[in-house]
Amino acid sequence: MIQREGFPITLLFPPQGHFTQPYLALPCLKAWLTAHGFPDVELVDASIEAYDRLLTRDSLERARELSERRQTLADFESKSTLPFRELAAFRAAAESAVSARALIDRIDDAKRVLRGDGFYDMERYVPAVRTIYHALRLVSAAHFPSQLTPHNFTMRYGLDRSADVLAATQDEVENPFLAFFRTDVLPRLVARRPRVLGMSVIYGSQLIPALTLGRLVKEALPECHVTAGGGFLAYIGAKLMRAPGIDACIDSVIFHEGEAPLLGLCEALRDGREPGQVGSLTWFDRSHGPARAVENPSGHPIKLDAAPVPDFDGLPFEKYFSPSIVIPYDINRGCYYGECTFCTLPTVIGPGYRTRSARTIVDQVLHLCERHGTRNVNFITDCMPPGMIKDLPEELIERQANLRWWCDARVEPKAYTLEGARRLYAAGCRKLLFGFETATPRLLKMMKKGQSLKSTIDVATNCAEAGISVTFYAMVGFPTETREEAQATLDFLIEHSDVVREVSLQTFHIDEVAQTYREPEAFGITILDDPSADIELYHDYECERGMTQAEAAEMFERMMAGLARHYPLFAGDNIFYFMQKSHYFLHLARDITPEDFVGRCRVRTRSREQLEFDPALAVRSGLSFAELPFSYTQAAAKLAHPLARSVRPDFLTGRYVAGAEAAAERELGELAPARRVLCYDRDEAEFVELRPDGRRLFEMIAARGSTGALLGEVDSAPARDRIRAFAAELHRLGLLAPQSTGTRTAAVTP
Amino acid sequence: MKNPESLPQPDPERPAPKKRDPIQPEKIDFTKLDLTIEKVEERITPSETNVFDK
Repeated sequence: MIQREGFPITLLFPPQGHFTQPYLALPCLKAWLTAHGFPDVELVDASIEAYDRLLTRDSLERARELSERRQTLADFESKSTLPFRELAAFRAAAESAVSARALIDRIDDAKRVLRGDGFYDMERYVPAVRTIYHALRLVSAAHFPSQLTPHNFTMRYGLDRSADVLAATQDEVENPFLAFFRTDVLPRLVARRPRVLGMSVIYGSQLIPALTLGRLVKEALPECHVTAGGGFLAYIGAKLMRAPGIDACIDSVIFHEGEAPLLGLCEALRDGREPGQVGSLTWFDRSHGPARAVENPSGHPIKLDAAPVPDFDGLPFEKYFSPSIVIPYDINRGCYYGECTFCTLPTVIGPGYRTRSARTIVDQVLHLCERHGTRNVNFITDCMPPGMIKDLPEELIERQANLRWWCDARVEPKAYTLEGARRLYAAGCRKLLFGFETATPRLLKMMKKGQSLKSTIDVATNCAEAGISVTFYAMVGFPTETREEAQATLDFLIEHSDVVREVSLQTFHIDEVAQTYREPEAFGITILDDPSADIELYHDYECERGMTQAEAAEMFERMMAGLARHYPLFAGDNIFYFMQKSHYFLHLARDITPEDFVGRCRVRTRSREQLEFDPALAVRSGLSFAELPFSYTQAAAKLAHPLARSVRPDFLTGRYVAGAEAAAERELGELAPARRVLCYDRDEAEFVELRPDGRRLFEMIAARGSTGALLGEVDSAPARDRIRAFAAELHRLGLLAPQSTGTRTAAVTP
Repeated sequence: MKNPESLPQPDPERPAPKKRDPIQPEKIDFTKLDLTIEKVEERITPSETNVFDK
């Protein structure tokens, strides 16, 4: 191997991605570059670093100050009504007023819980996750109306217009990552002086942060070539490179899998050549005046089985919000089936289907697990091929690998027999995710899924019987789908809730590379184009029949509500286990059965519902209150309406609906003034809204030490009944508890 | 547990008690108090359900 020193490369994962485990792409690229003569490659997960930095006491204190400078509750006191456009600001001000101090106090403990053994205690896990969610709302309030959540980063700017995106990269007030990059990332890059900065932009939520950093780096390090690739750019990269002004943020975009293009780019830059011969690369030629985008032809895919073991060294494993790292590892690239009419994944990874051998997989995964002190693996695959369903378990069992793993799968009745499923379990498989999509055979045919309902449920039943947790991907709003058909899907999922533990439900979107976009007439739809959206990926459409997009969004809500009633993992805040990637799996990885875990969820939900009145109920410590001029819960309910959500750029599509705010103003109406008291419970990390009367009664209980003591001073039977009912409800919500469990007898203070 | 909002509202400006609540329960008609309690149920948006994407 030829060693080429003196060519530092930094590969960086920009915010925002999941915070529970590292991503795979950059470790694959690092290993490839290292194996091909570029030993000085640094990995930076700026997404987890940003979460970790923004969720510190100091950062939250600054966020509280910024938030108060931007809006306080006092700003709303004199208003006679609250129009829709002010609801989000009011909600942010209310939450900051009542919870900021508590969140600052509790954030370190919440992170500690998620990273340690406290993770496995439901009573500690759920409040810790809630604290993280609320703390991110405080961060967001400081940069209002931007929103950073565990799954999302959006600003007021849409992702389908390059002018919007470029403006967002320079918004000093609303872009939280400008300050983060300047203090935490840029100084390190300036000190290291990489020749190439490569960023992986998998999600739309990463686009603005990636371009923000790219602009900063190009200003500070003009000699550094800034390139970017990844799933989201695979879709919009060509358009992005044609957008005016984008050359201030990046120098090139890599398409499809990145190994060969990135190596070719680094070699060209090292040798002082233009990258005109590098396949699957679009780059700016600046040699003749203004930057001009040059689109190179596609390159060839790599031989996957010959690829080196991914190199995760340098990632901050201790910072992820999980007690144990789940190593991602790709067993193949592409899809052996490749027929589904809605699927666009070939656009991301490029043409061709390749797989590693079972022996290579086990060799490399065992190496990674030993190196990083884990046995938990997330096999990355569009769907595990039938041969591998047999070969991989046999290799894992023969080698006594003792791993625990989960992955995506396709319904293959011949492979997922009961015997096959048991072999998978014995080989450490604890969770499989199948593309179920819909219970309507007509739609399955349109989707070209190539599977029947019977075969799907047979496969799921075999897996469940073997002890493997089954997740179904499902879809609502596929062209021509009716409400009745969507309801039938929900009914089917409920009927089989003893077999299926989770449902990843999505609304259908049309993007430019799917068959539904290329052949709209075949699906009975008319695509609506927006000429002003120059980097648009997703399109609105009209259907000849079936649900409209808006009706599908409403149906989504109904289906999620139905799942919450029948799936214990989706009931109340148990859904946190589903929503935080790999968190439910980490319980399964300790050989807790799906039945056991679901049973624990059920018990947790019921035990709260069944709490009753007790004379010893007293006010719990750790509560804070804020008086409000409008109802917080009413504001939150309006903001959760699908119409209200369409005002903001959508996470998946990055689009917002033009005119949606006016429609929301019109249809959702205004809030009338209403005196309310918002309570935040720092132990449970929950918001509860009371009326002033309720607060008054609350104070009376606090002053007397217990509800029983207050009842002792009340003679009227109806009055005593009302007090009992009020106290019982507060008991269920956690604000009152029997005296011995963390209560206090002093008066409640704001 | 939602009550109509037309019930009498206490004076929100009334200062909070320090140690001992001076309110005498016998002077309050508890049956007329608005004791509504509400909690925000966070709704899950479509984008947040696809947590397994690549």
